[in-house]
Amino acid sequence: MEFFKYISKRILQVIPLLIIVSLISFFIIRLSPVDPLAELRLNPSISKETLDKEIKRLNLDKPIYVQYFSWAKSFVKGDLGYTSAGEKVSTKLKERIPNTLLLTTIVIFMTWIVGLPLGVLAAVRKETALDRILTVVSSIGMAIPSFFFAILMLIFAVKTGWFPVGGLTSYNFNEMSFVGKFVDISKHLVLPVIVLFTISLSGLQRQMRANMLEVLDSDYVKFARAKGLSEGKVIFKHALRNAINPMITLLGFEFAGLLSGAALTEYVFQYPGLGRLILEAVMKSDINLVMASLMMGTIMLILGNLIADILLMITDPRLRGRG
Amino acid sequence: MEVIKKIFQDKFAKAAFIILLALYVIILLADFIAPYSNTYSNRDMSYAPPSKIYTIDENGNYSRPYTYNYIREYEPALMQTVFKQDRSHKYYLRLFPKGEGYKFLGLIPTHRHLFGTAEKGGQLYLLGTDINGRDVFSRLLFGGRISMTVGFLSLLVVFPIGLLYGGISGYFGGIVDTLMMRFAEAIMAIPSFYLLIILAAILPSGMTSVQRFALIVVILALIGWAGFARVVRGMVLSIKKEDFVQAEKTIGASNLRIILKHILPQTTSYVIIAMTLSVPSYILAESGLSFLGLGIQQPDASWGNMLKEAQEFTNILYRPWLLTPGLLIFIAVLSFNLLGDAIRDILDPKSRAGKGIR
Amino acid sequence: MRADVPEKLPDKFVNQELKNIDYPDDEKNVTINGVDYLQSQAPVGKFGGELVISTIGEGPKTFNPCNTKDATSSSMAGLMYDGLLTTNPRSGKVVPLLAKSFEIDENDYTIHLRHGVKWSDGKPITADDVMYTFEEIVFKGFGNPSTMDAMMVDGKLPELVKIDDYTVKFTTPRPFAPFLRQLTYPIVPKHYFKPYSDKGESVFNAFLSPDTPPKTIVSNGAFRLKEYVAAQRVVFERNPDYYKINLKGEKLPYLNKLVYMIVGDTNNEILKFEAKEVDVLSLRGSNVARYKLKEPDSDYTIYNLGPDTGTLFLVINLNNRKDKNGKPYVNPTKHSWFANRDFRAAIDWALDRKNMVQNIASGVAEPLFTAESLNSIYLNNYIKGHPCNPNVSRESLVKAGFVNRDGILYDKDGNRVEFDLYTNAGNLEREALGVMVKQDLEDLGMKVNFKPVEFNSLVNKLTNTHDWDMAIMGLTGSPLEPHDGKNVWTSKGSLHMFNMRPSDYKVDDRLDWEKEIDDIFREGALKLSFEERKPLYDRYQTIIYNQKPIIYLYSPTRITAIRKKFKNIFPTPLSGLIYNLDEIYVD
Repeated sequence: MEFFKYISKRILQVIPLLIIVSLISFFIIRLSPVDPLAELRLNPSISKETLDKEIKRLNLDKPIYVQYFSWAKSFVKGDLGYTSAGEKVSTKLKERIPNTLLLTTIVIFMTWIVGLPLGVLAAVRKETALDRILTVVSSIGMAIPSFFFAILMLIFAVKTGWFPVGGLTSYNFNEMSFVGKFVDISKHLVLPVIVLFTISLSGLQRQMRANMLEVLDSDYVKFARAKGLSEGKVIFKHALRNAINPMITLLGFEFAGLLSGAALTEYVFQYPGLGRLILEAVMKSDINLVMASLMMGTIMLILGNLIADILLMITDPRLRGRG
Repeated sequence: MEVIKKIFQDKFAKAAFIILLALYVIILLADFIAPYSNTYSNRDMSYAPPSKIYTIDENGNYSRPYTYNYIREYEPALMQTVFKQDRSHKYYLRLFPKGEGYKFLGLIPTHRHLFGTAEKGGQLYLLGTDINGRDVFSRLLFGGRISMTVGFLSLLVVFPIGLLYGGISGYFGGIVDTLMMRFAEAIMAIPSFYLLIILAAILPSGMTSVQRFALIVVILALIGWAGFARVVRGMVLSIKKEDFVQAEKTIGASNLRIILKHILPQTTSYVIIAMTLSVPSYILAESGLSFLGLGIQQPDASWGNMLKEAQEFTNILYRPWLLTPGLLIFIAVLSFNLLGDAIRDILDPKSRAGKGIR
Repeated sequence: MRADVPEKLPDKFVNQELKNIDYPDDEKNVTINGVDYLQSQAPVGKFGGELVISTIGEGPKTFNPCNTKDATSSSMAGLMYDGLLTTNPRSGKVVPLLAKSFEIDENDYTIHLRHGVKWSDGKPITADDVMYTFEEIVFKGFGNPSTMDAMMVDGKLPELVKIDDYTVKFTTPRPFAPFLRQLTYPIVPKHYFKPYSDKGESVFNAFLSPDTPPKTIVSNGAFRLKEYVAAQRVVFERNPDYYKINLKGEKLPYLNKLVYMIVGDTNNEILKFEAKEVDVLSLRGSNVARYKLKEPDSDYTIYNLGPDTGTLFLVINLNNRKDKNGKPYVNPTKHSWFANRDFRAAIDWALDRKNMVQNIASGVAEPLFTAESLNSIYLNNYIKGHPCNPNVSRESLVKAGFVNRDGILYDKDGNRVEFDLYTNAGNLEREALGVMVKQDLEDLGMKVNFKPVEFNSLVNKLTNTHDWDMAIMGLTGSPLEPHDGKNVWTSKGSLHMFNMRPSDYKVDDRLDWEKEIDDIFREGALKLSFEERKPLYDRYQTIIYNQKPIIYLYSPTRITAIRKKFKNIFPTPLSGLIYNLDEIYVD
């Protein structure tokens, strides 16, 4: 019961958060001098009447608060509205979400598979050459501007011919066999995954190292050691479990973080994901699209945190009933 | 002092420290070290390759270093621009030649630069030129002034806000804390990169480059403060339970005084670590903004907007000298990370601080 | 027949490279078994194969040909839906397409349709579809109403009557030259569209959105939609029952598939061409040299199509109106400079177009001095332009009362000459141009604050808030129809950037030359033949050249590469390289 009370309380807390986020973003975007109709205006063959029609359709002739309320009203009803080019926002998001989930899941999976052991290794071998090398290598990953790294990778793809240049599928994808399709998608994913992996690995590795060091320094590990348990047993049985727990909290953030962190990478690789969609929408001040994606990002972040909390409760009995 | 001593015991941290120090000295003296000014441009030398410097002359004898000027030719059939060396005249290099006027350290007017051609009319493009015929080497130095300081300046805005906000929220607790933290969380919930773009796009367009630079600093700060404030709040929550705070309270010290004088100083080591570790993320953020055309604008230089020019396919293939800003960003960010790591290990080996705004 | 284009295009219009191309004759009508086919006279090719092209941007926003507002959507919808008439890619004349023939008698335009031609679902294309398209979509202003506005003469729409199942007649209220070209508007199937248009405009606008299942779409063009993958590509397949045939009587098109790769920017397009993922690449600036150099041992051919329709220019804000709060859009002191023709002339003479072309366009462009683009058939050939000469500028400034003291320019009241110069940020070409313009003008003693701003914000400034001094911009012109520029040049146009008036503006404060241009555009639209119209449009270009509210800089040259395996490539300066998608085949 305690558990459900906690969850429902957390979900209720989401509502004011969403309202604040939507208010902030809506007003910032609408107060900006960015004109969503700029491309139309600069097209000499578009007549004044067309422009007037578009302004009416997008509600641009109304005061901001009216625009906000009409947006909020339809959002609550589940209607995400239309983009400034007249497409359904929900369709656009639906097209992109699976692609983003695919990329993000692979990247997170890989960084965890590689990052956690490396973090543990660095902590266990603290202040040895191995630790130093790991730190430097992961710092290198953090030091390259992602878009630039991505561009270099694309040129690598062109020069070697090993990988396709951007996108997610080849043009004859639909005629391929199942295995062919799988290979095709994998080939397209390699480079963006490498870029995002390199960039996010270092953070995770450092975090894990720090957690592990802290746990290794704690009283109960010292106690376990004093009891004469083998070092391997101490590390894997006692320390590791406690060091991973806080990482689960990170997972939620990481998921939402990749949504925005991947934007430039997706853009350079022409990856048909959410990041690129939002980036383009933001640049054009396509308000319905931006708002829908920001709301989604926020919900994803909160959900991620919630799931992490629940996972924590399950894995760590000490936290149960605390809330 | 203790910290610096410890930094020097670590090879990587020492190297990083020296590199950063050198970079800051160089950008401070940019006017003097750069052979050309920030606005210099030679119309006839757009995309000229780096000048070749010779120390052995055509007869195989050692010589004072010299260089040749380039001549630009256009071949209409191939639609190609080619640069040839003008071998008819040698331009010798020397130290402290007279060049464009500037104020040394912003104070002393002078014409002397660190190095250049002895004779007027000589071209010395150590790292070639860009599309407008501007010396890439000189612009790297001037661009460094912006790229290397934008992070620190942002921190100057972030830290007071974050410290005070986190301090108040953690100290008072209760409803104040809840409200303040909900607001901070809302800011954090908006993916920072998009917030950055939206904010950069609303910068009023009628600004001078100095104002624009300042506002970019503020924007970067506006995004960074919330996460920082949250950590500070967490620390304050535990500090305020300590005896000396309780003691102050019983004496009747004012709340603000307790926060400023007793609680916040306890967070110093965290602040230092967070500072060194978040500067690189600001440098990267500026380059990302520039990539989208929202960062520092022409004709001013920043490493980010110089790198943007480099990213065209033919530029990467044929004009590799345009990639040097990318290299400098890499070196600077790497050095900051290594140094930050070392400082953290020294000040607070167990700290979890390690996340900037990325 | 009277034509709005010259009988023969001017000789200079076709560059040397294109002169050697052996163009096929114009298409002919052939009737076989009661079906009126259109017969291509191009060499007979092989069937099969695919052509992969790229489209820059976010891809199509709709496949509804009546609701397209951007170039990508309209070119794709254009593949799927043919209009009654079309523009001959070589001569620029209006010729029949879906229509078999047409006659013009005064204000009457009689259109005869082809017999036996079908929609992709097998239903015949008849006069009812034409009637429906114009009466229930165009004349009602559904979708993109620009065609309706273009057809309007003195606020009146033409009349349309159905003579029989295969004949319709338009009647314009009075002679109106641009009308004929409007009949290139795509014809849509009544039985497929009507259920949606009957439900009102918002339903109609959402109809045929990109996620429409391709199989359900009824079309009549050479290609039909096969697949749309968001943000990646659009795939078309040949329409097996198209009404165009080759010399052997086989149905065109040759290509099995036509793929549009959606790419975000030119950089990505180049990489995709390098990786052989796309077959066609339009080249600009410094890229040209690389591909020219490698052409001899490559699998592509490069064509020089001559000057582009795109123009780059510096526009000066002559606006002297005030905003709602009574604040002038442009500072009155600045306005007094900008309004001075000699001041504008000084700027014009100071600009170093030669080096702009050389440095920024890597020599792949031509200096520009006219309002019509260099490949326009209405180009005023008397305007020769002038070299850069700062001395003329200085004289001109002295004449206008400006004083140069110690390299700093002051106006006659002693104000320092200082203003803002905008362009859109993130565009390397325009930023570099801005840097050069700034230097050229600062050499005259002016202080120029160069401010690249985000594209959409800049357009907002130019068309809405009017708070700018000068800007570097680009527009695309039409090589055949100068009237398309009316939004830019007429005093109440929606793109009359240099002196923008609010849409509800009543006061007549037109400058003398603005008045004259208004008259020219009104008159030019009513004259029907090229010979009658040419002097008028020559005059407008002369006025702009003399008054210089917009100072033209240069026009890029169109260079395009295509893989050698594609045959029946007949590039023309008017239509580019691959306009004849139904005739191109793979060898």
